[in-house]
Amino acid sequence: MVTATPNAEPGAERLDRLRAALNRALRGKHGVIEYVLACLLARGHLLLEDLPGLGKTTLAKAVAAAVGGRFARVQCTPDLLPGDVTGFSVFNQKSREFEFLPGPVFADVLLADEINRTTPRTQSALLEAMAERQATVDNVRHPLSPTFFVIATQNPVEHHGTYPLPEAQLDRFAMKLSVGYPDRADELDLLASAVGEPSDERARDAVLAGDDLADLQGRVSRVAVQPNVRAYLVDLGRATRAHANVTLGLSPRGLLIWQRVAQAWAFLKGRAFVTPDDVQDVSQPVLGVRLGMEPRAAQEIVRRLLESVPVPV
Amino acid sequence: MAPDQPRTVRRATFVLLALAAAAVEVAAADTRPVAHSLGHALVWVALAAALMRIVPVPEDPRAKPPGWVFALLLAFAVAPFVTEPLRRNWTDGGYPLELQMVAGLRNVGLGLAACAGWFLCLRTAAVVSLFLMLFSSAMTNHTAVLVLLGLYAGAGSVWLVLTYWTGLRPALVRSDRVVAVEVEPGRVRLPWVGLTVLLLASSGGVALAVVGPKRAMYTLGELVPTSGGTGDVDPFARYGVGDGPEETAGDNAKAAGMVDTDKLIEDNENSLVDLVSDTYGPPYKPPPEQEKMVAGGSAKVIQTDGKPPDGRRPSSAFDTARKGPKGDRTPADRAARGLFEVEGRTPLHIRLVAYDHYDATAHRWTGARKPVGKHLDPEGGDWMRVGYVRPADWYLRDERHRLKVATAKGNLVPTPPLLTRFRINRVDRPDYYEWDYEGVLALAGRKTTPPGVVVITDCRTLDPHRLPDAAFGRTGADSGSPPALGEVPAALRPELERLARAWAGDRPRGWPQVAAVLAQLRTGYAHDRAAAPPADHPAPVLWFLLESRRGPDYLFSTAAALLLRALDYPARVCLGYYAAPDAYDRETDHTPVTAQDLHFWPEVQLRDGHWLVIEPTPDYEVLEPAPPLLERILNGLRACAAWLARHSVAAACALALGVVAVRRRRRLIDAVAVRWWLWFPGRTWRDHVRGAVRLLERRGRWCGCPRAPGQTVAAWARSVTGGATCDADLVRLVRLTELAAYAPDGPAPAEARAVCRRALVAWPLTRWYLRTTPTGA
Repeated sequence: MVTATPNAEPGAERLDRLRAALNRALRGKHGVIEYVLACLLARGHLLLEDLPGLGKTTLAKAVAAAVGGRFARVQCTPDLLPGDVTGFSVFNQKSREFEFLPGPVFADVLLADEINRTTPRTQSALLEAMAERQATVDNVRHPLSPTFFVIATQNPVEHHGTYPLPEAQLDRFAMKLSVGYPDRADELDLLASAVGEPSDERARDAVLAGDDLADLQGRVSRVAVQPNVRAYLVDLGRATRAHANVTLGLSPRGLLIWQRVAQAWAFLKGRAFVTPDDVQDVSQPVLGVRLGMEPRAAQEIVRRLLESVPVPV
Repeated sequence: MAPDQPRTVRRATFVLLALAAAAVEVAAADTRPVAHSLGHALVWVALAAALMRIVPVPEDPRAKPPGWVFALLLAFAVAPFVTEPLRRNWTDGGYPLELQMVAGLRNVGLGLAACAGWFLCLRTAAVVSLFLMLFSSAMTNHTAVLVLLGLYAGAGSVWLVLTYWTGLRPALVRSDRVVAVEVEPGRVRLPWVGLTVLLLASSGGVALAVVGPKRAMYTLGELVPTSGGTGDVDPFARYGVGDGPEETAGDNAKAAGMVDTDKLIEDNENSLVDLVSDTYGPPYKPPPEQEKMVAGGSAKVIQTDGKPPDGRRPSSAFDTARKGPKGDRTPADRAARGLFEVEGRTPLHIRLVAYDHYDATAHRWTGARKPVGKHLDPEGGDWMRVGYVRPADWYLRDERHRLKVATAKGNLVPTPPLLTRFRINRVDRPDYYEWDYEGVLALAGRKTTPPGVVVITDCRTLDPHRLPDAAFGRTGADSGSPPALGEVPAALRPELERLARAWAGDRPRGWPQVAAVLAQLRTGYAHDRAAAPPADHPAPVLWFLLESRRGPDYLFSTAAALLLRALDYPARVCLGYYAAPDAYDRETDHTPVTAQDLHFWPEVQLRDGHWLVIEPTPDYEVLEPAPPLLERILNGLRACAAWLARHSVAAACALALGVVAVRRRRRLIDAVAVRWWLWFPGRTWRDHVRGAVRLLERRGRWCGCPRAPGQTVAAWARSVTGGATCDADLVRLVRLTELAAYAPDGPAPAEARAVCRRALVAWPLTRWYLRTTPTGA
């Protein structure tokens, strides 16, 4: 069980406000919220794999609203084109020039709903945006928001007419989460809060100022990682490549993301340095999205991997 | 995940070095007990093992080892040269320079194995171990070295498999942990500096030996003592090939080890005549009108006469009327420590002369030479079987001895009694041997037995208490034994018969009677080598038996032989050497026999032709059959029980302390470790905190809740406390540990040491055992 701890570091108050806002939007999911925050602060992207109606969109909207950024949503369907995501150029009859019409990727928070329903061609259009925070259209490079954050969702149950995400794209997500059903008390609370004014109508004010998120992300990047912890991370990464049940081990990019998420996790815990506990705490969502392994055995495999590598003390 | 191959390879390398170190110690002094050598090796190996635990494993094994590793290796290499003077002062023993250098190399190898985290050290350690093992194998053919060589071969195979495996499975093993034996790409620079230094050193040594002072040459010669060190400069340098002065085969009379040799040489040593006269005094010279009966003379006369064979043997006559030895028998100088060395059980009687006939008028024993009908038969494996021995059912299994001639006084082939077969290297022709007397073997046609000759003998053993009456012969004309063996001078017979029958009493014929006579002599008479009968006494034996009741061993033997003859037992006396158990040398496992061990004893002939050695002289014993294994075990147990009974209080205290120590060993170790942690807190506060955590981890491990390798300290603490966060001391220590292990450099937290101490106090071993909630913490 992951619990939020009061943050006494600089920026802690903003972090607490952000945490509170997300907890208000998604009730009873403190653990998930912590991971989402870690992903956001680590400048990663999030893949939500869960059943319909569990609050994925709500969470994405809440994140967008809380950070004060622009929210965009793409409902991924088989006929969705890459231009529908990145934007396209149209000819302006008046100016006799082509004008670029930015697509949804130019938002601060992009929700790619049911991303596995669109074609690989359209999925790959997101690759550049997620990895390099830019979009190239008609050979023209268009930078995205520095706090660009993708929340993609996919349905694990319905497989007909879906296009599994390629490994290259999976590796660009920082973590994969499952929201899961709320418990009984939270559902009762949810029903109670729905009586009266519709939830969509409720005001959702931004809790962060313009550059607050970038500032927090900068602080996270400065969280110290000592050589022994780095060696631990590298050992874990190499262990994934040597494991018999893992067909695709951790890439160097995945290792970088893991370290950044661990930094964010330490920051969320109010620490200025990363410990092996941080590395282990974020291992399941980070490795779950990128290691080639049997999904049902993923949790057990990751646990065994963690057990096999000695923790430096 | 693949196994942790590099750690296994490091351990395998260390095993190789440990085996090589043991082999070097055994080979360096292969005459001492193997346990001592292994103990010496164990000290260095334990030191290296402790070092191995301290030396960190580098993150990059391919990196060049840091400077302190070389300093450490240098200290290890120098250590034998530092300890050698101490050893020579304290133990009167020492190694020659060459072995000191090998010991230094052994230490370097162990140090390299301890630092095997660096591939350079690991590979060099393996090469050093190979050199040491080859050196040891070349030095000696000791069984222990051969066993170690076999173990080394097995361990080396495992080492090769492991290194090959790590290179073969890069998919399973991290590439930086692969121990590659291939040549690394890139041009390799020759170590010019090292080569130049080596060349200069070699050239300097040669130049010094050639044009320098002679002493320098001798000193350099001591560096290769196993190839001919002289011992003039370094007293611990050794001679020739082998084990030095005590092991030289061939023309050096100082030989003492059991080395077979083909070289049979002549020498001009003094004869046995001098030795007998030195030991027992010159024989009594009769008045001038009496006929001269003493054979032989000074060695020089014999040598210049050109008739050495007879003169070089002891006289065929022995006067029992003597004046006693003169002067101190301690030799001023001795080339070797003994005439020959005996390997095997002692006491042992080695015949030199056998005397059959006693002349009461002249008071002398005489013996017949060259017994007839005693032939030798060649047997397989260069053995010579003694042909006249007839099997009898009262003998036990044969016992083997090895006797090495060092400074022979004649052409005697030293053999124990009841000989059944013998072997001298590959001399397999019977005509090389002859019987000087019955049971006394000699080299045919030779003046002396060459130094270095090793005689391997198999002899029967028997327990005289089990001999039946029929086993003893009789002296009558129809008994088959020579008449001389039963002769008792008529002048002495009445008194001797009276005495013998009185001593034998009504005991049955056989061993009981013999034992009774021996018991009377051993208990009622005193052994006094200096005592001598008056020169004009008509019967020295009667003087000894009835008047003085003390005398030298030849009077004991003469008395016993004549008394037994009076009881109708065929008996004779023998002159020879007595290998005394007191002289047994534990270091060489040999018993040296010196000129001082010349001895007389009587023998009784058995019906099968064998001569049974009996010992009437006090302080001398006869070799008894080796007890069976069970009896030896029981004897050992009895000895242990007796020792315990003598030291019952001390043993009880030691036992009680031992029991307490065993039962509370963990508490004791923990207490010592905590004290150590308090006294040596480490260089930084981080070391101190890590030490505290390790102490707690050890307590947890002992009590069944160890920290798994993949478990963080925080997770382990949570599992220990059951997730309870109320244990403030442990929580604080966990936070402190995280700070110490993972935080960037910074000032020490306040009360860091106090937090550690509180956690150690709050979580003692008892609490780990009980795993209860803290009370007052």
